[in-house]
Amino acid sequence: MAVYLFKRLLGLLPTLLIVAMLVFGFVHLLPGDPARLAAGVDADAETVELVRRDLGLDRPLPQQFVRFFGHALQGDFGRSIRTKRPVSAEIADRFGPTLGLTVAAMAWSVALGLVLGIVSAVWRNRWPDRVGMTLAVSGISFPSFALGMVLMQIFSVQLGWLPTVGADSWRHYILPSLTLGAAVAAVMARFTRSSFIDTLKEDYVRTARAKGLGEPVVVIKHGLRNALIPVVTMMGLQFGYLLGGSILVEVVFNWPGMGRLLVDAVEMRDYPVIQALVLLFSLEFIVINLVVDLLYAVINPTIRFK
Amino acid sequence: MNLSRKLSTLAGTLAVAGLAGLATSAHAAKDVVVAVQSTFTTTDPYDANDTLSQAVAKSFYQGLFGFDKDMKMVPVLAESYTASKDGLVYTVKLKSGIKFHDGTPFNAEAVKVTFERAINPDNKLKRYNLYKNIAKIEAVDPTTVRFTLKEPFSPFINTLAHPSGVIISPAALAQYGSKGIAQHPVGTGPFKFVEWKATDYIKVAKFDGYWRKGYPKIDSITWRPVVDNNTRAAVMQTNEAHFAFPMPPEALQTLSKKPSLEVSVAPSIIHRYISMNTRQKPFDNPKVREAINYAINKEALVKVAFAGYAVPAEGALPQGVEYAAKLGPWPYDPAKARALLKEAGYPNGFESILWSAYTYTTAQKVIQFVQQQLAQVGIKVQVQALEAGQRVERVESAQDPATAPVRMYYVGWSSSTGEADWAMRPLLASESFPPKLFNTAYYKSEAVDSDIAKALVTTDKAEKARLYTDAQKQIWKDAPWAFLVTERLLSVRARNLAGFYVIPDGSFNFDEVDLKAEQ
Repeated sequence: MAVYLFKRLLGLLPTLLIVAMLVFGFVHLLPGDPARLAAGVDADAETVELVRRDLGLDRPLPQQFVRFFGHALQGDFGRSIRTKRPVSAEIADRFGPTLGLTVAAMAWSVALGLVLGIVSAVWRNRWPDRVGMTLAVSGISFPSFALGMVLMQIFSVQLGWLPTVGADSWRHYILPSLTLGAAVAAVMARFTRSSFIDTLKEDYVRTARAKGLGEPVVVIKHGLRNALIPVVTMMGLQFGYLLGGSILVEVVFNWPGMGRLLVDAVEMRDYPVIQALVLLFSLEFIVINLVVDLLYAVINPTIRFK
Repeated sequence: MNLSRKLSTLAGTLAVAGLAGLATSAHAAKDVVVAVQSTFTTTDPYDANDTLSQAVAKSFYQGLFGFDKDMKMVPVLAESYTASKDGLVYTVKLKSGIKFHDGTPFNAEAVKVTFERAINPDNKLKRYNLYKNIAKIEAVDPTTVRFTLKEPFSPFINTLAHPSGVIISPAALAQYGSKGIAQHPVGTGPFKFVEWKATDYIKVAKFDGYWRKGYPKIDSITWRPVVDNNTRAAVMQTNEAHFAFPMPPEALQTLSKKPSLEVSVAPSIIHRYISMNTRQKPFDNPKVREAINYAINKEALVKVAFAGYAVPAEGALPQGVEYAAKLGPWPYDPAKARALLKEAGYPNGFESILWSAYTYTTAQKVIQFVQQQLAQVGIKVQVQALEAGQRVERVESAQDPATAPVRMYYVGWSSSTGEADWAMRPLLASESFPPKLFNTAYYKSEAVDSDIAKALVTTDKAEKARLYTDAQKQIWKDAPWAFLVTERLLSVRARNLAGFYVIPDGSFNFDEVDLKAEQ
């Protein structure tokens, strides 16, 4: 197990190296001159050249890459073109709120999704299933920014119960996490349901029932664990996506997260920020995948790592 | 029915409770929250290119000159000035007895240090181009500064009034350096810088040693970016902010119904036009350019795209810019447009492309409306809204005027110095073809070039007015642009907030800001 973990972590390095090269290439392929954008509408050609030198964009591309990579290895991702603050500070400021929101949204949506999915599977094609799946389809279909606006209009503007913008207290987390989690809960519910229905058809479930075990034991002990594998995979994927920051939800609730940072960065061709963010997102996905793989073993002890 | 009534009563009660809360808190501490559209880029006005960052910097920084709420130039830290006949030497008399937030006295030496930083190319500041014309700055005595220019430049005092031309504490500059000052702004303004949380807000607090006695009347301002239009409207309704700008027209109806809020519409110097590449067929023919101006119904455009909150362009420059001449609006006459096209040799119209410099909804509506209007006279245009990077690539970085791909281009401008030179020279002088500046019409007129150049070296106001009027008439006649509209600025404020204004260039004036207790 430890050897496996070590090997996987070692495998991280080449992956990140390739991602870094690709993202550096892509970013510099984007149309638009960052110096011109940073200098702004009033600047003349001479000022643009000054800004270009200030940003180090006058050097040849290979030299820029070596510099970027050398510094990145030492944990220095340069300074943002837009704000001139260190990229690491820009990202660190936003990582917390995004992580917090992701965890809050995942917590309730996974719990609710699991319950809805199990209920729907157990009472398949009867009214609990219909209600559950109606909710799930609504959750997937309702665009998150629209849901956010409706929630804000009702709970902040009309009722005045919750604050509209900011990320200072737990009350600020309620509406954005509801909005963000709605689609995840829906996906989880549908996934759990189908996985559970398959599991309940398995021979060992029939055997368990034949042994005379009560239905709750059959469902929870024999069904749940085995149905969880695909569900956990899905959970990992969703977690990874949410960690990238949801642009729409962050815009509606003015959430100080990474989605907005990425949008601002792309808009201004803020190369250092885009590169660092894409690297971070890749790292997040790799780590989450690793955790998911390890979770498989916890759920199903027959799985062995080699 | 029942539920909604309950809800509205509840909302009413809460609103009253909220107001009561505001009223009581006003006695204790007067904290104002302002909701703005985008995040700030820096607190250093010399390194900022967005109006917003500079507007916020006005809380802690002041210039020698500035603009009042009607965009009239007024002395701030300066007492008066004299210009030499040749327009090369400007002598500015300073107010005395003023101190920076860190206790450093404000004097001629501070002015000298500040501008020497701005004109040093090694500091690589984004506003370098505004000040690079200064050859030297001398501190004659503690309250007298003499600027000597490289070339005569008559709007020089307007350049000093530009929101970037602020005076920074020389002690702070020495301590934090040219780059570090952006994290530690120290000026003479009514508020001290407290905190910049990059993701959330900039907070400033009352400076007790402020030189205008009795000001500021409030304790703090929190500048909070709220990027989404609807959310910005929502924070006003929940009393989480006292002022919000800009406001989308769609939100106005709901907001104006709330008794605690007041919506205001202010004039602007933000001009919207479509430039036509005069080097390319068919736009090289003035008749075609005139025809396009006749073909667009500006009144309808205002209604369709701007929800009524704009006025048809009344000249080559928007009213409100110093020396703007009223020449229009250009009449809407599609029959005449067709006749002109026929005369120009395009009886069946032609095909072209129309780019927009922006992708937001209003701009999309404008180009679609113009597309439809031009189709009426037989001109078929393909429309495309360019994202910022594409815009820079295709329009602003085009190296060769002869092959520049731009044809029709919807864009806007506001003269950040408030006068005619910066409203005309970057856009219409032949020295300003991209990539140098933004003459996207590639318009070249001997008469206009010479008027602009002469006005630059004339300090006589009457002569300047004559030259600029002449240039504007020529531009209006040559029609390198389709002159569209001048925008109006929508903002909303809580009724107990006074003295906070959006000024015509989209910046703020809050010299008199106060939070009243009543209501």
